[in-house]
Amino acid sequence: MIVQELREKNVKANAEPDLLKKWALITIALGFLGLFILVPLIAVFSEGLNKGIELYFASLTERDALSAIKLTLLTAAITIPVNTIFGVLAAWSITKFNFRGKNILITLIDIPFAVSPVIAGLVFVLLFGSRGVLGPFLEANDIKIIFAVPGIILATIFVTFPFVVRELLPIMEEQGTEEEQAAITLGASGWQMFFRVTLPNIKWGLLYGVILCNARAMGEFGAVSVVSGHIRGLTNTIPLHVEILYNEYNFTAAFAAASLLALLAILTLILKSVVEWKTKKH
Amino acid sequence: MGITIKDVSKAFGNFPAVNNVNLEIPTGDFVALLGPSGSGKTTLLRLIAGLEGLDTGGIFFNDKDYTYKTIKERNVGFVFQNYALFKHMTIFDNIAFGLKVRPRKTRPSKKEIADKVNELLKLVQLEQLANRYPSQLSGGQRQRIALARALAVEPEVLLLDEPFGALDAKVRQELRHWLREIHQRLNITTIFVTHDQEEALEMADTVVVMNQGKIEQIGSPEEVYQKPANAFVYSFLGRVNEFRDTEASAAISYIRPHEIVLRKISQGNSILSEVSHIHIIGSTVRVELRRQDTGALFEAEMSIEQYQNMTPIKRGDILFAEFKNIIVFDHHLENKLDHGGKIGIRNSLKSKLI
Amino acid sequence: MANKRKRHRVLPGFGLSMGYTLIYLSLIVLIPIAFLFLKASTLSLADFWETVTDDRVVASYKLTIYTSLIAALVNAVFGTLIAWVLVRYDFYGKRIIDALVDLPFALPTAVAGIALTTIYAPNGWIGQYFEAMGIKVAYTPLGIMVALTFIGLPFVVRSVQPVLQDLDRQYEEAASTLGASSTQIFVKIILPAIFPAILTGFALAFARALGEYGSVVFISGNMPMKTEIVPLLIITKLEQFNYAGAAAIAVVMLVFSFVLLFLINFWQWRTTKKYQMN
Repeated sequence: MIVQELREKNVKANAEPDLLKKWALITIALGFLGLFILVPLIAVFSEGLNKGIELYFASLTERDALSAIKLTLLTAAITIPVNTIFGVLAAWSITKFNFRGKNILITLIDIPFAVSPVIAGLVFVLLFGSRGVLGPFLEANDIKIIFAVPGIILATIFVTFPFVVRELLPIMEEQGTEEEQAAITLGASGWQMFFRVTLPNIKWGLLYGVILCNARAMGEFGAVSVVSGHIRGLTNTIPLHVEILYNEYNFTAAFAAASLLALLAILTLILKSVVEWKTKKH
Repeated sequence: MGITIKDVSKAFGNFPAVNNVNLEIPTGDFVALLGPSGSGKTTLLRLIAGLEGLDTGGIFFNDKDYTYKTIKERNVGFVFQNYALFKHMTIFDNIAFGLKVRPRKTRPSKKEIADKVNELLKLVQLEQLANRYPSQLSGGQRQRIALARALAVEPEVLLLDEPFGALDAKVRQELRHWLREIHQRLNITTIFVTHDQEEALEMADTVVVMNQGKIEQIGSPEEVYQKPANAFVYSFLGRVNEFRDTEASAAISYIRPHEIVLRKISQGNSILSEVSHIHIIGSTVRVELRRQDTGALFEAEMSIEQYQNMTPIKRGDILFAEFKNIIVFDHHLENKLDHGGKIGIRNSLKSKLI
Repeated sequence: MANKRKRHRVLPGFGLSMGYTLIYLSLIVLIPIAFLFLKASTLSLADFWETVTDDRVVASYKLTIYTSLIAALVNAVFGTLIAWVLVRYDFYGKRIIDALVDLPFALPTAVAGIALTTIYAPNGWIGQYFEAMGIKVAYTPLGIMVALTFIGLPFVVRSVQPVLQDLDRQYEEAASTLGASSTQIFVKIILPAIFPAILTGFALAFARALGEYGSVVFISGNMPMKTEIVPLLIITKLEQFNYAGAAAIAVVMLVFSFVLLFLINFWQWRTTKKYQMN
């Protein structure tokens, strides 16, 4: 009883300066986030819509915009499965087995995170460009990689390379191998074990990795910019389309296209929160 | 299914987990692999299941070489220490798993699977939980489901890794009787790993005592308790007083606390000792004493009835302690030198209480 | 037979998954990076040195490093503060704010770049106020810092947040029963506990800023010697078909990033070792 009273007194005495401090800190934090994050986000939509909704939709449905959207979707549609399969296999070998050099392998997988996107593009130009190592060979066989779609896809695969495996490593490490061992002692084959036991256990982490991978794949600018050659209607993804329009002072169309990517970003954040909430529940 | 383990060794890096082990397990036997942690008992169990690969030696099931058979081919039921139930499946699906993953040709029909699962749920007395998930079950329930899942594939050998290690004392006691019953009903060769000597002695037909990757003794619970092969087995299987002889340092004498009789008057060959503590633990009473001759501490144990029937004792009392069954092991030879109760403890004996 | 014994693995798929991992990693990452070094090595040592120490290049190193450093510092301070607010206080809309912190990860850099440029341009929503004070943001190093602050923000928040979350309140309670003021508690109890996380976040934000291109290229104005960042210089060399020159600058940058990453990993390994009990 007495303790309770004392505690309440204490809380009251501390309440006022604490409350002041709390709201001061919240105001600073929100102010900073507003200035650096919310205002740019609002600006994208506001600039895109400032000449009216009709122009907004017109600039999204014109031919070059549509082909940029198509190329972006194509790039993501190839990059994501390829990096997902790699991510699952790499995480499987790293977390379920012991071998020498495991840490080195993990570090090597992380390289694309440490490399500037411009350098990511550069390495492929050096390999496949007209003056690159394989340039003469490719030209002789009439294969175009740089300034063409394959180059864009390669560069995108490079920059999004670690996303899925990075999400899976901690989850699979934590889950250990007992459930898989149990499945094997019960007579399951390797694939049965994987699809019935491993995959259901990692599905949320996998989805999380895929969401992040997708966001980066669709939004990548630097690496893609180096290898694309900016050929309108052919090798422009949405971010490159945005750049061209912006540099031509066609701001409304640039921001209209940018708003598509901003919507994608918002969708990504929502999905991310849903997945985080789901994993917390499990 | 009888199991023969022949000269089996397994090392992890430089650590010899199982070191040249030989073991013969007849069909239908109920075996406890008993030992402290790091004694190699779990590794031996996993070697039998095929969950570890051995370095040398061979494993035979009914005299057929199973050394390089896959886990699947061995047809063993394995119950993992932490049960390893599939978190995302219902209890029903967990138990049905082993049947559902069979190739189409040998897979039972849906109805047959359901019947089998229900039969197993009845066996483990958890019919009402079929649609729950593992996270909604208590530890004891999970243990039973893990066993039902292992039994669903009709294994010829049942292997359990510390089956009751993660459970509280009361549940553990219940499950011991229950597992014993199940073994009697199904009569499949069963091997379980435990570090709890009481559990091993209470449940098993055969106790295999292991230490540092080697088997110290194989025998019935009576044999290993009454006729321990060496000092390790003796001291691992119960409370023990240890008296070290400093002059002939190889010899250590042992006596169990309940083999010491305390009296107020001298009778037979007894040692004058002072009571330093009395612990009353439910139905047993442990008395801690100090020898008047050497100053060594030791412990005597009696039932509460014996305690109540004797003339009341208290701290500081001087009593006569009769050592009824002293055992001496020669550490160099690991041979048992049984001096029976007649040995007089030399004055130079220095003692240590375990 | 001996071979069979050695290779025993309980779970299937090691050969397949490891083989695929190594081949894919080599094809996509290791071989291309190796060729970058190879290309740079086609230059003679003198040429290489001249390329990477050219005045314009050195100016771009300096600019990139100091803008990245300042942006990372700003993030270290405000990121910690935001993490604190998100962990310790409850307020309306907190979950949305929490999700919004990740926007720089999710928003394509080009979009961030044009949006920030528009806002901070002399006639932009925010730029006009700075203009009134005589400060130019867009097309100056200050603009580069703004862009780099934007892209680096989540790193600090996301490395400090979980540590702050797991921080046992008992230590603070113990300190306050011993008579410490709230400032003393923060400086002596909380800060030392979260400092490694702040430093990790700082280093990650710094490393990311060094290589950043998309968000910076619009706001920087790209004036040689003044507002030209290293990645842009690589592209310029590439457009002049000076592949070896581009590769040389890229190698310098890569080595710098790798050393930084190595230091971060080493630091993390050391601190976790230091604070691990048992």
